Parts: sequence; structure tokens; C-alpha cells
Amino acid sequence: MQKTADAIQIGETLPITTKAISQRQIDCYSGVRPHSIHTDVEWAKKKGFAAPLAQALMSTAYISQIMVQFLGEGFVKGGKLSAAFIKPVLAGDVLTAHAVVTHKEIEGDQVRITVECWCQNQDGVKTMVGTASGLAKDLKISGTRK
Amino acid sequence: MVEFKELSYEVVEVGETFMSDDFLIKPEDVATFAFAVDDYNPWYFEESPFGGKITHPVLLGNQALFMRHCKYMISAGLHAKIQFEFLEPTRPGMRVRSHGKVIDKYERRGRHYMVTQFETIEESTNTVLTRGQFTQMLFPKSGVHQDAKNS
Repeated sequence: MQKTADAIQIGETLPITTKAISQRQIDCYSGVRPHSIHTDVEWAKKKGFAAPLAQALMSTAYISQIMVQFLGEGFVKGGKLSAAFIKPVLAGDVLTAHAVVTHKEIEGDQVRITVECWCQNQDGVKTMVGTASGLAKDLKISGTRK
Repeated sequence: MVEFKELSYEVVEVGETFMSDDFLIKPEDVATFAFAVDDYNPWYFEESPFGGKITHPVLLGNQALFMRHCKYMISAGLHAKIQFEFLEPTRPGMRVRSHGKVIDKYERRGRHYMVTQFETIEESTNTVLTRGQFTQMLFPKSGVHQDAKNS
């Protein structure tokens, strides 16, 4: 059961999720191809990387997981996610995805809840930063509008 | 007949459009995605509040990203930014297609970028499921930019 907007506090930290990223998971996400920096070890090295890269979009999936757990339907329908990928993520890295509530704003008969979100690797280096938002019911608003 | 060209900053044009192949979302795609991102939310496998199963919201992100491959050969590139707006739940059994348009290309600190806007649509009803835009850094032919590496 997701919280209503009334129960969500600015500054609230959402539960983190941790992902140990294997080459097999990257292969499944990207589809194995020769000459791919994601799934071809030699090609990744040729392009200057120590190992194949996880696809950047995988990090948005980790944030999405946190948001679905947090806001449920209000993220699946009405959610937004904006991210910048600032460091590569390699096969074998362990990422943690984080989110903190920063804004609450009335939108129609619901409240848009915005979080600042980021992923960081096992060395504490941020690899992705961004914001995500979704809609939460507000008992006071829904109780006063027909 | 498509004449595939190598994607480069010089070749890509602002305003040009892309269209992915159509794609039927199969249960095995949902399962593969769940394994890939280690997220087994029961809404994707049993029942959701929307009635029936839905898929992970970003499951179709790659379709939007790969629509450029229907026109270009892309040896490598790095994602710089992405924006998603989730308008309707995506469900297994839907046949979907992404449409896109290059809205900008620019050079910053010696690197080349292209910005593509997209919509992913359920074909039978023309319902827009997801829209957004992504910014891709295009590699020079010599390989990756030195400061983009972490090794």
C-alpha cells in the first residue's frame, strides 16, 4: 500500500536498492552483439574501457523500481524521470540507487511528489544523477473535490 | 530498401525522423527484463492495480534508443541524458512502435551530441504510452573520448 501525499515528508529518504551488475544481466538487457561496448569484451577494450559497460538505461530501471515501490500506480501512469549519466558503469560494478523527496506540488486532484535521485558505485562515485516524480493521492484534496 | 549509413555528427540532421520496427511485448521479454535489472515486482507477473499484468515502466526504453538503428549503423555511443514521461501502463500482449525526431545536435567541449525526441505508441489504439527524449554522445571514429573512460 502506497502512502498518501499527506504522509510523505520533504527530506524523506526512500529505501535504497543495491544491484551487483553481471555481464549476463547486461547481455540480457542489451542483446548480445559483436562490436558492442556492452557485450563484446574485446570491442569494449578497443574503445578504451576496462570491461563492457552496463547500458545507462539500466540505472533508470533501478530508480523506476524505487519509484514504483514508493508511489505505485502514480508512477506507472503519470510518472516522470530525468537522468544524466555522468560516469560509466562496468560489468562487475555494484550500484546503489538512492532517492530523497524534494518537492510536493498539487496537480489536479493529486499531488506530484518529486525526488532527487542518483546511483553510485562501490567506490562511492556517482554514476547517474537526476529527478523522478509521480502522483500521490491527497486525502484533503480528494475529500473536498467532487 | 533502407540504405544504412554510418551514424556521425556530420551526417545526422536536425529534423530527421526515425521509426522503430513494431514489437510484440511477450511474457519472455518481461521475464528477461526482470532478470536483467533484478526487479521481480508481482505487478509484472501476476496482477496489478490496473487490472492484469503490466510491464516495467522503462521496458521499452531500448526500443526508443534503437530506432536509430533502423536507419544508421551505430558502432558505439554513450548515453548522456534521458527523460521519460509514463502516460499509460505498458502490458504484455501489446504491439508497440517508437517514433522519433532529431531535435538538436551540438558540440560541447570537443564532444558531439545528438538529441532525439520520441513517443512509444500502442499500435492498435494509437495510444501514446511513453514519451521523452534522449541525448547521445557520438564517438569519434578513433574511439571513445579520453576523459569519458574510467580506466
